[in-house]
Amino acid sequence: MTSQAVRKTLKEVKPILSLNRDEARRRVLNLYKTWYRQLPYIVQTYDIPVSVDKCKKKLREEFTKYSESNDIRLVDMLVIKGQMELKEVVNVWKQKGHIMAYFKDTVEPKPKDFLSKFLNGKD
Amino acid sequence: MLRLTVSRALNGAKSSPTCLSVASRYQSDQKKPDKIEVFIDDKPVLVEPGTTVLQAAAMVGVEIPRFCYHERLAVAGNCRMCLVEVEKSPKPVAACAMPVMKGWRVKTDSEMTRKAREGIMEFLLVNHPLDCPICDQGGECDLQDQSMAFGSDRSRFTDIDFSGKRAVEDKDIGPLVKTIMTRCIHCTRCIRFASEVAGINDLGTTGRGNDMQVGTYIEKLFMSELSGNIIDLCPVGALTSKPYSFTARPWEIRKVDSIDVLDAVGSNIIVSTRTGEVMRIVPRVNEEINEEWLADKSRFAYDGLKRQRLVTPMLRDNNGDLNPVDWEAALITVAKVVKHAGNSIGAIAGGFADAEALIALKDLLNRLGSEHLCTERTFPLDGSGTDLRSSYLLNNKIAAVEEADLVLLVGTNPRFEAPLLNARLRKAWVHNETDVALIGPQVDLTYHYEHLGDDPNVLRKINEGDHEFADKLKRAKKPLIIIGAELLERKDGGALLSTVQNLSTKLNSNEDWKVLNVLHKVASQVAALDIGYNPGIDKIKSADLKVLYLLGADGDHINKEDLPKDCFVIYQGHHGDRGAAIADAVLPGAAYTEKQATYVNTEGRAQQTLVAVSPPGRAREDWKIIRALSEIVGAKLPYDNLNQIRDRLDEIAPHLTRYGNAESANYFKQAAELSKKTESAIDCKPIDVKIKELQDYYMTDSISRASPTMAKCVQAVLKQKQSACN
Amino acid sequence: MASALGRITNLSKTQVGQFIPVLCNTQIAFYSAPPPGTPPPQTKTTFGPLADQDRVFTNLYGRHDWRLKGALKRGDWYKTKEILLKGADWIINEVKVSGLRGRGGAGFPSGMKWSFMNKPGDGRPKYLVVNADEGEPGTCKDREIMRHDPHKLVEGCLIAGKAMGAKAAYIYIRGEFYNEASNMQVAIAEAYQAGFLGKNACGSGYDFDVFMHRGAGAYICGEETALIESLEGKQGKPRLKPPFPADVGLFGCPTTVTNVETVAVSPAICRRGGTWFASFGRTRNSGTKLFNISGHVNRPCTVEEEMSIPLKELIERHAGGVTGGWDNLLAIIPGGSSTPLIPKKACEEAIMDFDGLVAVQTSLGTAAIIVMDRSTDIVKAIARLIMFYKHESCGQCTPCREGVNWMNKMMYRFVDGNAKPEEIDMLWEISKQIEGHSICALGDGAAWPVQGLIRHFRPELEGRMKKFQQAQN
Repeated sequence: MTSQAVRKTLKEVKPILSLNRDEARRRVLNLYKTWYRQLPYIVQTYDIPVSVDKCKKKLREEFTKYSESNDIRLVDMLVIKGQMELKEVVNVWKQKGHIMAYFKDTVEPKPKDFLSKFLNGKD
Repeated sequence: MLRLTVSRALNGAKSSPTCLSVASRYQSDQKKPDKIEVFIDDKPVLVEPGTTVLQAAAMVGVEIPRFCYHERLAVAGNCRMCLVEVEKSPKPVAACAMPVMKGWRVKTDSEMTRKAREGIMEFLLVNHPLDCPICDQGGECDLQDQSMAFGSDRSRFTDIDFSGKRAVEDKDIGPLVKTIMTRCIHCTRCIRFASEVAGINDLGTTGRGNDMQVGTYIEKLFMSELSGNIIDLCPVGALTSKPYSFTARPWEIRKVDSIDVLDAVGSNIIVSTRTGEVMRIVPRVNEEINEEWLADKSRFAYDGLKRQRLVTPMLRDNNGDLNPVDWEAALITVAKVVKHAGNSIGAIAGGFADAEALIALKDLLNRLGSEHLCTERTFPLDGSGTDLRSSYLLNNKIAAVEEADLVLLVGTNPRFEAPLLNARLRKAWVHNETDVALIGPQVDLTYHYEHLGDDPNVLRKINEGDHEFADKLKRAKKPLIIIGAELLERKDGGALLSTVQNLSTKLNSNEDWKVLNVLHKVASQVAALDIGYNPGIDKIKSADLKVLYLLGADGDHINKEDLPKDCFVIYQGHHGDRGAAIADAVLPGAAYTEKQATYVNTEGRAQQTLVAVSPPGRAREDWKIIRALSEIVGAKLPYDNLNQIRDRLDEIAPHLTRYGNAESANYFKQAAELSKKTESAIDCKPIDVKIKELQDYYMTDSISRASPTMAKCVQAVLKQKQSACN
Repeated sequence: MASALGRITNLSKTQVGQFIPVLCNTQIAFYSAPPPGTPPPQTKTTFGPLADQDRVFTNLYGRHDWRLKGALKRGDWYKTKEILLKGADWIINEVKVSGLRGRGGAGFPSGMKWSFMNKPGDGRPKYLVVNADEGEPGTCKDREIMRHDPHKLVEGCLIAGKAMGAKAAYIYIRGEFYNEASNMQVAIAEAYQAGFLGKNACGSGYDFDVFMHRGAGAYICGEETALIESLEGKQGKPRLKPPFPADVGLFGCPTTVTNVETVAVSPAICRRGGTWFASFGRTRNSGTKLFNISGHVNRPCTVEEEMSIPLKELIERHAGGVTGGWDNLLAIIPGGSSTPLIPKKACEEAIMDFDGLVAVQTSLGTAAIIVMDRSTDIVKAIARLIMFYKHESCGQCTPCREGVNWMNKMMYRFVDGNAKPEEIDMLWEISKQIEGHSICALGDGAAWPVQGLIRHFRPELEGRMKKFQQAQN
């Protein structure tokens, strides 16, 4: 009884954008492509000290971060977020720092153990 | 003046009628008359006969405005702000002084009452300057608040265009209290505080009528160790704090509840901070300890927290100079030395050490195989020594001092060792007819006492019943013996303690009343003894140490000559004082305003300070320094945060983390029994105390020694003592 | 000021009535059932002049010897022992029957006041304090007694002291009264030598001492509690009441503070009987009284007269009338400087006793009549009085300290007319804010003259302001 009910609700979950996995995959690829084509312009407009190649690497990294995601709804959501992000970048609603935040090379990890916390003067 | 012989006959009814209500509190247990019913704004309330209208109103939550009335001072009734209408009385009555009568109907919000308040408010403001924007009291001013609440909404003081307001010359009453006498509203709270609580009759009024002035008669220093309290008492900005003047506004400061550590009383304080700086320290009400007073050193020595501070770790180089280094280098160097020393390491804890640091240091040294853990202050180890807490606590608690009928002080000067305990003693002496006797040097305690000489053998004679005072003690219903910690630092301390222990077991008739009381001088002592430190540094001197760890030990008890030549001295503390001067490595710690730490006062009451500001520079909380060192040495202590170290405290002595509670001690009889084994005898050296006069009081520890305000106080007192009108 | 300050008027009479019974535990309500000491009902309709044989103070003008010898001739110290032996209750009853009311200004019934002291003691000694700090402007009755008839007062102390079971009497005399003080001291010494005072006074077996204390010249020390403070060696600042002096007074002991005249007439009352004394004046206002008449009269004088004598008759008969005739009269202050003035119209039918003057919105006070004719600058006169009160305010409590000073400033502006007419109402309100709000009655005493002025001379004030305004423009 219960499993039936669960199945039923699962079936009746409202899709966000895509109706099946293929559609979702297409959307992801589309987003990736758009980002990919935009990268040179981003480097130029924001005048960031990163090469286009590095940016491509980063782009790939960001997408593969979620490679394990299987839920169509989650994928759709991530796509929407990615589009929003892209829009902000293209319209220069962001600033240089925001872009550079993808490359967090300057951020040190917070100390975890007592001694390093002590030496850093952090609690 | 306050304690006339007639007043004894009167059983508290003072020659000044104003003391009546204060005194009546103490008579309540003698006979309990029926309660009477009165009506405050038609709300019925049952009160004891003799309750004033103001107190009765407070019981039903009606607050009557007042300026001169203060619950801890005699009633003066002169501001007239508390006038209220009583049904059937043709004129309003002063609520603060008028005892209620059966069936009275008091109207605290009637037309007549409001008119009266408005009139008084108008009169007070007639000659009060409109300088609120530059007044330090602004924002916490009774006159400001009450004129908003009860005053008229407009002025009709037309005479401002003709003759203006009264102006009064300011008076110089010392480096602590700033006076702007034009603002004075003549409530006489300061005068009453001085004569009743502080016991100094320096303040008074001169002139009459509109020319009446509050002052010191002749221009002189207000010579009291409690002088700062008149700043809190002053309802307007006439008396403000000199060091705090023009530095901050009450609405822009952060307030942190904390504990004072400059004496062993553990007064409750509020630390006001702004922009990471301690702006001022004011008392916090705690009926069991400091009521709402605070001693001058505790209140004004805070500027010492900004000076002479150790802000970075330092190591001594080959030239003998201390060089700043970073923590890593300092800890590695120190750890190397410690490791090398093995178990020949010792530690001395100073007067400001908190329980967390003490336990961490003890655990570390124990792990290294050393037991050389000492406190700066000595305590006799004969008999039960410090094994039984009852031997070293102020067992009867501070508040209960008021109930005593006979107090014997031995080898102590409570006025300067614990000013607030002395204020309690004086309160008992004034209101409860307590008699006080003193064995020790003759000092001014602000009240009369019987001086039994400074020969320690008087104590023996009293114990043997060989002295006339012995009878008095025996007759007393609630006798109290308070021994100064300094007395027990004598060579014959053990014998003296054993004598007092025996004497007090003889006098102890009531289980709840504890005769034996020890008054300590430093804040850390009780916690250190509770944790298991050895009192006194003789052990350190005799042991052949390779490393000595000073935990804030600035008391000038040890110096280089006492130690082997190659002994490496580590100093951990917050001030560059005597300890740091002899150190080979300096580890900067936090002062009491900069850490959450546990202190146990002389009663055995555990209390904690809270972080008001962060430690300056690279200074760290004390227990953390020891914890970090332990890791590098290779004897890692098993606690990483405050909760864990407090769990450890709890394991050793559960009372250390029961904040606010004073854990009572027991085993008086056993302690006395054990003390009989004491072999040493009392010698004839007269009893002495270190702090005899006011000028000795201000600078006694590393914080107050670094304080410019305290230095000014010493100068001012010395100057006053030289002047002709002292 | 001869405790004119104690003039808590009708106000505090009721108040005293409210508090004292509870404080003294044993008192019963006074007004409900008048016990033995009730004055006889009134039968007389005309009062004064006083016959010579009925005068109590027979050496008021100092024409005879004031020392013991002269005093004995005038009948002082005659059978004092017998009076003492009749006991305290008898004396108090006689005083109650006589209807004697305090002569210091408040007019509190003396018999009742003295009887407050007679409750069972608690081991504390009791004291009688005689208020001889006569400082009220216009009042000069006590000094006449003290310099010309001091033995009346000394004997009175003994009898009043016996009535209340006092251990000693303190006479607090005004510092400026040098000659009076020295005469008093001589009289006390004579009485001691004659055995009238000290151990076994008058041979009655009663021990009684009289001490004299000279003040230092503060008007406020005539207020009873301030006087006690001053006697104790402190600043003369009034105490809060309750506790009343009858409970906690001098040195913390039960104390009664009475006026010189009240004490000095008590031997005569005891000797000639309370009913004799009660036969003068209207009921509740009985007795003879010393009246001081000063100001614009032809012959200023102090005179003993029957109570309830009409004001006009008193002035015409004894003071030779107002200068320039009765029609030249402007106003009269009938009871010392702290009582409100009354204009000529009210003077015509004013009756000089407690109730008679209350009827015209003033009070008898110390019966010091200050007469002002039409040449007087009435505003300036009142302003000068306020200046006196400002100078004599002790400064302890807010309304008096700040309020009287403010009134003083305003009054002097009113003298010139340098003010707006609204300020008259403001001054009235300020005086009302002072009255009844201060610790002692000095505030009231300062407020009343101003109120009297505004009540009766408002057009005068407004006229001056108009004139000043015109001069400015």
